Amino acid sequence: MSTEPKIRVAIVDDEGPARAILRELLSAHADIDIVAECANGFEAVKASSDLAPDLFLLDIQMPKLDGFDVLELVGRDVAVIFVTAYDSYAIRAFEIHAVDYLLKPFSGERLAAALDRARERLRSREAATTREAAPTRELMSAVRQDRVPLQRLLVRDRADVHVVPVETIEYIESQDDYVAVKAGGRSYLKEQTLGELESLLDPRAFVRIHRRFILNVSRLAKIEMGITDNRVAVLTGGAELPISRAGYARLRDLL
Amino acid sequence: MHPILNSRRRLAVYVLAWALTSLLLVAAVGRSTPLAATALFLPTGVLYAFISLSSWYVCRAFPVDERTRLTTVVLVHLVVAVVASAIWIALGSAWAFGIDMLVPAAEAVSFYAQQRAFLFVVGVLLFSLAVVFHYLLITVDASREAETRALELSLLAREAELKALRAQIDPHFIFNSLHSISALTSADPAAARRMCLLLADFLRDTLRLGSTSRISLADEFALAERFLAIEQVRLGPRLQVSRDTDPEAIECLVPPLVLQPLVENAVVHGVSQLVEGGTIRMAAARDGASVMITLENPCDPDRPRTRGVGLGLELLKRRLATQFGAYDAVRAEERSGRFRVEVRIPIAIA
Repeated sequence: MSTEPKIRVAIVDDEGPARAILRELLSAHADIDIVAECANGFEAVKASSDLAPDLFLLDIQMPKLDGFDVLELVGRDVAVIFVTAYDSYAIRAFEIHAVDYLLKPFSGERLAAALDRARERLRSREAATTREAAPTRELMSAVRQDRVPLQRLLVRDRADVHVVPVETIEYIESQDDYVAVKAGGRSYLKEQTLGELESLLDPRAFVRIHRRFILNVSRLAKIEMGITDNRVAVLTGGAELPISRAGYARLRDLL
Repeated sequence: MHPILNSRRRLAVYVLAWALTSLLLVAAVGRSTPLAATALFLPTGVLYAFISLSSWYVCRAFPVDERTRLTTVVLVHLVVAVVASAIWIALGSAWAFGIDMLVPAAEAVSFYAQQRAFLFVVGVLLFSLAVVFHYLLITVDASREAETRALELSLLAREAELKALRAQIDPHFIFNSLHSISALTSADPAAARRMCLLLADFLRDTLRLGSTSRISLADEFALAERFLAIEQVRLGPRLQVSRDTDPEAIECLVPPLVLQPLVENAVVHGVSQLVEGGTIRMAAARDGASVMITLENPCDPDRPRTRGVGLGLELLKRRLATQFGAYDAVRAEERSGRFRVEVRIPIAIA
């Protein structure tokens, strides 16, 4: 056989038989090495950071984290073949440059064709010297526009994933390339800009009160005058946040 | 069919109206010889009633709408009225002659001859009145018919909607099941065959039950269990099922596919959305004059709300409301990660 390195594959599907048939059909391909079998999105994110597979065979409909959530959390350029019974996600899948889109049930030949495309994709990437973190994140948020406003925030903490319902968020603070999300007495760091996040949140519930802060309006207790003629938002939880002049105008419009 | 001739009640009222009109004529011109005048006017009046019925055919031939010119219609009716009145006068003269033959003292012919011009005008007017009356009748009948048809149509539409509903099977359920079968064929051929049979039975039953109006609750539970057995192959130990049905309750007859959409919801929006899965609890019990079906399943309170959720529930509510007039038959609540539906159906025993 060739001396090319094997393709490291992770199978992600919440249904046992679906994982089994992938395993069986993949065994016919000598250059494929199954490094992980994941029964849900959390396991997939963990497998991604622990094992760094080259290729995901990814179901879309899964509990808590769907296939798109997984890719957003993985955050790096990994080749993906979606495997699903639903044809309605195909456009979204190709928008984020999925290698292929397999509709259940599929044949061994169809899977082989998808793997050929994956090999090609991986080879061309190897040829290109840069193996940079691809622009998946921006792309993901673009694709997610159809789900605006955001209902929950996915935060990855190394191999763990936190699902934060947006209504539990008190406020969000910008910290360089990250945002710190304060929710339920905890703080979650997420690699995203405040502006990006602002565009995804429900504008009737969240207001950019300052260059560095987004406020959940339902958590606002009162507005006080600060020492230097600046306004300060006092939250029900006791936190105090500065309000800029423009931020105050936005807040007043909403209230 | 003539709108007056086809209804005995209408005909009676119509003839009575003409008889009264005839008596008015007697009062108007025959006060000096009331007996002879009555003998003359009453029969001829009733006869004219029947002659006037012919105006309906003319009315039908000349409907009053945008396409016909009003002057044409008036002219036609006038000509017909003149002819009808002339015939009536001629018949009246003959009748007067007949009376004189029987009772020479009546002098009906000379009396009738005096009134002929007046009666001719009255005849034209009465016929015109009959024309107006027939137009009214045609309009009323047409609007009533339109109403009936609209009602029938809405009933048909609702029936069609129900039929489509009952036969509704989520295509993804079938695709996923076929995929499971495809997976099992090499790993566990016996299980693959079992799954094929389950799926075939489920599809057959769904289609069959869709065309019946009532089935026993036991059959409904059997169908739901078949569905769950198929989903268990897919979801494995994540899907657990418990059943607690009172033997008295499952004898009851219910509309088909009442439980099925609920069970489907419990899997699709409940258990399958949970990483660790959970147990679907089904129960049925008699409660006085009704049977109570309860379904409970764990769910993810933070799940993304997709469209279409609650549609099955809404349709079930509507079905039971139309069938039993029971507007609160379905109650659903979600509390701290558990979803619970109660359906109360008025009892009918097999």
